Amino acid sequence: MLWRLWFIAPMVVALATVVLFPTVFLFWMSTQHWLVTDPDQFYVGAENFTRLLSAKDFWQSLRVTVAYLVLGTAIMLVIGLGLALSFANTKSGTLLRVMIVMPLIIPPVVAGFTWRFLLNGEIGFIGAFLLPAVGFEANLLADPKGALFSVVIADVWSRTPFMFLILLAALQGIPRDLYEAARVDGAGPVAQFIRITLPMLRGPLIVALLFRIIDAINTFELIYVMTKGGPGRATQVLSIFGWRTAFQELDFGQAASLGVVMLAITLVGALIMFRRFLRPAGQDA
Amino acid sequence: MTAAPRISLALAAIIATASGPALAQTEVNILAFAPGFAWADMFGPSGTEKTDKLRAFEEAEGITVNMEFADEETARQKVLLDLVNETGTYDLVMLGSDGAVQTFSYAGYLEPLDDYLGTAKNYFDADQVYPQFLEANTVDGKLWALPYYSFGAGVIYRKDLFDKYGIDEFPGTVAELEEVLRTIKAGLEADGMDNVHTLTMRGAPGEEPSLDLSGFVYADAGFPAWFEGGPTTPEEIKAKKAKPIFNSEFRGGFERFVEWSKEFGPPGIATHTWVDMMNLYGQGQAVVLMPSAINGFAALGGTQDENVRDHTAFAPSPVGASGKPVQSFWTFSVGVSAQSANKEAAYKTLAFLTGEQAMQGFAESIGWPYSTFPSITRGEVLTAKWPAELLDQVEASYEQANPHYFPYIPELSAFMERIGTAASEAISGEKSVEQALNDLQSWAEERMERAGYYE
Repeated sequence: MLWRLWFIAPMVVALATVVLFPTVFLFWMSTQHWLVTDPDQFYVGAENFTRLLSAKDFWQSLRVTVAYLVLGTAIMLVIGLGLALSFANTKSGTLLRVMIVMPLIIPPVVAGFTWRFLLNGEIGFIGAFLLPAVGFEANLLADPKGALFSVVIADVWSRTPFMFLILLAALQGIPRDLYEAARVDGAGPVAQFIRITLPMLRGPLIVALLFRIIDAINTFELIYVMTKGGPGRATQVLSIFGWRTAFQELDFGQAASLGVVMLAITLVGALIMFRRFLRPAGQDA
Repeated sequence: MTAAPRISLALAAIIATASGPALAQTEVNILAFAPGFAWADMFGPSGTEKTDKLRAFEEAEGITVNMEFADEETARQKVLLDLVNETGTYDLVMLGSDGAVQTFSYAGYLEPLDDYLGTAKNYFDADQVYPQFLEANTVDGKLWALPYYSFGAGVIYRKDLFDKYGIDEFPGTVAELEEVLRTIKAGLEADGMDNVHTLTMRGAPGEEPSLDLSGFVYADAGFPAWFEGGPTTPEEIKAKKAKPIFNSEFRGGFERFVEWSKEFGPPGIATHTWVDMMNLYGQGQAVVLMPSAINGFAALGGTQDENVRDHTAFAPSPVGASGKPVQSFWTFSVGVSAQSANKEAAYKTLAFLTGEQAMQGFAESIGWPYSTFPSITRGEVLTAKWPAELLDQVEASYEQANPHYFPYIPELSAFMERIGTAASEAISGEKSVEQALNDLQSWAEERMERAGYYE
């Protein structure tokens, strides 16, 4: 019944337009010598990739991205899980839940500006008044380590609600009988958490982590408005590096090769997690 | 309705239809930033209106002017994408003399304006403009853009605090200024004025600090010390096969900029842009602002601090070890896209928007002591607002300026980005001056090799 395929044709065309074409174009660009400063544009094979992989800035940006990802995810996971466990067995605290979820609906650009002003060492409430009041004098956003820590904190504030929502839904879906049976068998709260809660959370947790990794690798606007990748290159994650390469250094070919590398990193990470943790039973190798 | 009015209406309709083509106007699309600041007298405080002044121009020339404002970064990116993709969507594009004019002119994305200059002299007469502002937009012997809001170097400082610490006049050299800054810093510390910083400059990553930093390098070395021997054009660099000198002659000025930022600047200076400079000075939290004094004048417009308002003074930029002054020279300029379908109308609009009448409007609405026309600097509005001595000094800063205090090469935007970020790295302590400059040197060598300068 080949005619049935026509029903999905519009979707295929739409996807091809907004996903396939840009992706193919990105791959094509990554093989081009395409400098705005040079009118000649030509094929250079893998030259953009070799130059990218030999650039100090790339490796530094990768390190910053990994630090941002790992640090942010770890804090997010602990806080998100803690909050989800607190709210899992109660239907009260609606207002509190709303407050916890609220940062999620605030656009990252707005969140970035807010945190930038709060942490500003000259006029910010936290940076200029609160921290000095407790004896912490450093200007967080102008210090390389402090700036990285600051963008992580802002990211945690902004994205933890997502982790919280997924884990809360998963926790509320765990059958109560399992806990009752465990209690009858003499299991304490810690044993219940390790033997029941964590295994039951595995799937949702991996999904949440998967989204989180993709989100962190592609984070741009939050860091851009808070630090623009600075001071220096202290918070220059891969996406900021790509933006600088394309729009400041006007090297479209090199920026496209970075885009391909970021796509590969995200895909590989996602595939590993999917195959390792989310493959349906019976499909294991 | 009687027959007579019907006939009249029918006739009116026929005349209107017949005269339709004559009423059709050429459309000129512009992309710029800073609504309410740029051309407030044409597009109103919101940037979305059309004032009588603009309408009069449209009617007189048969041109419809469509202005699109965006924030500065967005506007720059839109200009880049529009030019690179050769869409011709924008007939007039906002540029800057610190990279965009050079990069886009060499790449062939802009229309040279020399042949148009005589076509709209009633709006823009190049002979009546400070020549340095035209020179700043001249690349390879051709004029590529006309200047609007523009400025030269200088220092804005708090005279009351200078007096308080026994400094009678602003020092004339960089070395003397360093001593003065040290004296002020000690005085502020002794008086417990922790929230007042001796100096404010800009050290944010990206191209911003490069304009001022390059001025320090120029004052220290006495020439644009980017390449061996100081060539400023691609031809000169190629002819001499001049290699980058960022870890040698460039170093003196760079190091001074970084050390002053660290020693005398606010703790957050490694992230500061011109907005932070302006805010700090306006809030009375900085004693000296340099070398882009324009940001100090901007601060004066909105300050609530009486001391800042009443005790601010202007001084010429100090001279460096070479005997040349620290530079900071920039023009917000506008060029005609090479892809514009209406280049003549576009130029006429450009001449109107950057001409004497427009600059008069700028002086009336903003009132800063900077103008591209001597007649405006010496006109009623600015002479009523500023002392003659200050206007003399501002004019002198143009005369002392070398708009080409950095090389005019196609790669300028990339270099500005790298240099500014290297400064931010060194100021924040992420890298030492030596590391930052060595990395800059390696990158510059590779970039110039790749661009074929040494073949």
